[in-house]
Amino acid sequence: MTGLASPRTRATNRAVILIVALLALVICVSLWGLSVGAVAIPVDVIVNTLFNLDGEQQTYIIMKSRLPRMVLALLAGGALALSGAIIQAVIRNPLASPNVIGINSGAALFALGMVLLFPAIPQVWMPLAACLGGLCAAGFVMLVAHYRSLSAVHLALIGVAVGFVFESGVDYLLITSNDSESSAPMIWLTGSLWGRTWSHVGISWIPMIALSGVALILSYRLDLIALGEATATGLGLNVPRQRLIMLFVATMLASVAVAVVGVMGFIGLMAPHIARRLVGGSHRLMLPVSMLVGMLLVVLADGIGRAIAPPIEISAGILAALIGAPFFIYIMLTTASEQEP
Amino acid sequence: MSIKSLVAGLAGAMVLVAMLPAQAVEITHDLGTTDVPDAPQRIVVLEYSFVDTLAAVGVSPVGIADDDKRDSIIPAYTAIIGDDWTSVGTRKSPSLEIIASLQPDLIIADTSRHEAVYEALSEIAPTISFDSLTGTYEVALEAAKTIAHAVGKDAEMEARLAEHTTKMEAYKAEVGDVSDWSAQFIIDNGEGIFLHSPVSYNGSLLAWFGFKSNMPSPDGHTYEEAIVNTSLEQLSEINPQIILRGKYTDPGLTDSWVGQPLYDNIEAVKNQHVYDVIAHEWSRLRGVLASEVSAANLVDIVKQLKQ
Amino acid sequence: MPLAFRFTLLAAAVLFAALLSLTIGQRSDVGITNVLQLLFVNDGSLARSAVVDLRLPRMLVAGLVGINLALAGLALQAVTRNPLASESVLGINQGAALGVALGLVIPGLIGVNLDVMAIIGAVLAGVVTFSIAGGLGGRLDSMRLILAGVTVGAFSFAFVRFTFTLEDNLSRLVLSWTSADISSARFDQALPLVFWAAGGFLVSIFMAHSFNILALGDGASQGLGVDPRRARFIGAMLAAVLTGASVAAAGPVMFVGLVMPHLCRLWFGPNHRVLVPAVALGGAGLVLTADVVSKLVRFPYETPLGIICALIGAPYFLYATLRAKNMA
Repeated sequence: MTGLASPRTRATNRAVILIVALLALVICVSLWGLSVGAVAIPVDVIVNTLFNLDGEQQTYIIMKSRLPRMVLALLAGGALALSGAIIQAVIRNPLASPNVIGINSGAALFALGMVLLFPAIPQVWMPLAACLGGLCAAGFVMLVAHYRSLSAVHLALIGVAVGFVFESGVDYLLITSNDSESSAPMIWLTGSLWGRTWSHVGISWIPMIALSGVALILSYRLDLIALGEATATGLGLNVPRQRLIMLFVATMLASVAVAVVGVMGFIGLMAPHIARRLVGGSHRLMLPVSMLVGMLLVVLADGIGRAIAPPIEISAGILAALIGAPFFIYIMLTTASEQEP
Repeated sequence: MSIKSLVAGLAGAMVLVAMLPAQAVEITHDLGTTDVPDAPQRIVVLEYSFVDTLAAVGVSPVGIADDDKRDSIIPAYTAIIGDDWTSVGTRKSPSLEIIASLQPDLIIADTSRHEAVYEALSEIAPTISFDSLTGTYEVALEAAKTIAHAVGKDAEMEARLAEHTTKMEAYKAEVGDVSDWSAQFIIDNGEGIFLHSPVSYNGSLLAWFGFKSNMPSPDGHTYEEAIVNTSLEQLSEINPQIILRGKYTDPGLTDSWVGQPLYDNIEAVKNQHVYDVIAHEWSRLRGVLASEVSAANLVDIVKQLKQ
Repeated sequence: MPLAFRFTLLAAAVLFAALLSLTIGQRSDVGITNVLQLLFVNDGSLARSAVVDLRLPRMLVAGLVGINLALAGLALQAVTRNPLASESVLGINQGAALGVALGLVIPGLIGVNLDVMAIIGAVLAGVVTFSIAGGLGGRLDSMRLILAGVTVGAFSFAFVRFTFTLEDNLSRLVLSWTSADISSARFDQALPLVFWAAGGFLVSIFMAHSFNILALGDGASQGLGVDPRRARFIGAMLAAVLTGASVAAAGPVMFVGLVMPHLCRLWFGPNHRVLVPAVALGGAGLVLTADVVSKLVRFPYETPLGIICALIGAPYFLYATLRAKNMA
């Protein structure tokens, strides 16, 4: 004990304090989220319902609507942010996100195609179709990357192009079906937690938590990749292979999240940036902070979306983008001249 | 035992009977079979045509997905169901929290709109679902019968339908033989026009009155076949003798076509047989009462036509 | 192949596409045999009215929008020194769509001319994209520019799609506007486009030399007497005005500004003095072809022009990225 902490531990201490503070904030906002919505419920009724105490209870609204939505918002927000942070590190570009390898567009096309072209399939299968679509788009990009050993930049470009192809298909379906009346796919396209139940939590929590765990364990490799391809190879890392593995984990995370909450495109872009500003670029710290920021954004957006204009609900995806956009643009403008991370 | 206490006892017994778990009616609908409590009292409806059905049997819903516009429920309905319902939001994405807070014992949903949240709705209350959007006039009457059965108003619906048939036959007699006339209902929203084809609700209603349609009759039964987005050129090919026009904006797109030979030479335009009807009533409302409103419109229109 | 022959071939293709665009439609009384006669001889028939009153303005709008967008794309690519830059990739078209959607949804903005909203949206989206990417003054990292554009575009489209969850009629309005439906185009929409296209063509020809020099890099440009900042500013303004004018007339038509300059560079080489007329012709030809396809793909129903252009352009974009050997 010298009494003087080294700069490194000081930075770590600061990060630990920050993580604890963020965690507390996420918990507070989640609890606040339980109390807001189209119907005002007093705090004592919420407590009664949660702990099954005597007195007035609101079982459906609290236990079957707001609680599963909160859990899903936390899971999906964390997964999307984590996925975005990994993709930004792998592509080595701060503007990369799950969008960039076509996940959102692929998922959108498959989900919409299933509902509009095969109306016989029950709509409860929509998440599965979406997940498949995301994997298809990202799979194509990764196959090309694998066989042609592309640079990260080129890979992102192909991902963007694949996204545009799927997107044009989505537009074609939207127009030709002339069916803006089918609510579910439209609302799903904007990224919303409307109508989500425990069954959505049931199908998604295991993969999301497992994949998040894998991603956090592998995070040290991202720090190596961030050093640059030559350095990383010099340190004994098979960079193209590691890149594919990390991309695969990120794709799975984003696809599962998109499948249950819809196209929430901007969490994966914005949360890692905000996290990087808070704790710097070391992925060991940055990944968990990204997750917390992502959770915060989605839970906050979902709560506001329910409370702002009842009985109409504003999609969480839209509100999260609105909340995050000013931070994002500010960060981009202030780092515009700097080197890419 | 005094008479007073006897009455009180009887009243208590009656309350007990009322509170017994009500017998359930099994209803088969688009998304399965659901046990609906006998004579449900608190009903939430998520599409206008179900308001129509409940109004036909004199039941007031506690919640309506009225797109947050109370005047979208027309006076023909409010005269029967009153003005006490709670708006539960848009038909596209009704607020589940508000529905739950109304503590309904039956929810009536639209299949194409609410299929994906059927499970969530069922957690709130027994939910039955019918296809209101793409059904014809006949399908709408069938759904009305099923819903009346679900709410325990079979007798009322039978009586109302008998009255409906009498009314409609009277209207039909007034309209007379129109088999020489081709009629077309169109929606004009300022950016485009939408034709309601013979397989749509309005198309089938016009056919019931005996009007011809110059539109090719599609074999399938999907939304894009029922309501077709079209251009002036195609309208000039269909060339109907009567146009019933519902405008959502004024002036509409069709107004900007006045003066173009292609528009002016459509039979209906040339002979001034373009009649404006209320777009909301014709294109969004379907059912027993709505068809009577439309039929009354038609009688007026045919009167003008024959002058 | 001599240059003159290549131009003749391209011009012939454009004329053929224009003729097809006039010939094809829902009315069965217009055919390839009588379309020219109907166009030039007023016989008072309805077929003549269909050709002259409906299909001619529509054909003109399609062709002129093609010229404008292709020239805008060429200018953007010269300015950013990035062969993949274009209105759709940089989010400008999507920004225009967002402007229109906001104009239809926000009560305070209802009544503001939608064309104005489209142009404001397009310009704002362009400014945000360039700011995020590092600004016009500095060296633009091409990858960062494209990703910034894609982000701005996706952001705009997310909001446009949000309106689909609102009232039915509103979503229909937004949808028909943002899919660039030109089936009810009129002459008064085509006339300003003639002016913009002619002006854009002249400015592009005038700037062709500067665009050629810009490709050599800033240092070289200054040595050759071209102020790179001035050239970039004029180029960016040209692209913004041409895109805004086409969006106002037809709605956001995607990918024309990407596909045509790219194809023409393959066929006519990198010299902008040759490229400008080639790209203008090619742009007209591409959108006219798309117009023909839009009438045929679900005959007798029409599919909006914007959708067809996206279906043609997006796979081409993918092809171009796969084909590119070294990026940035």
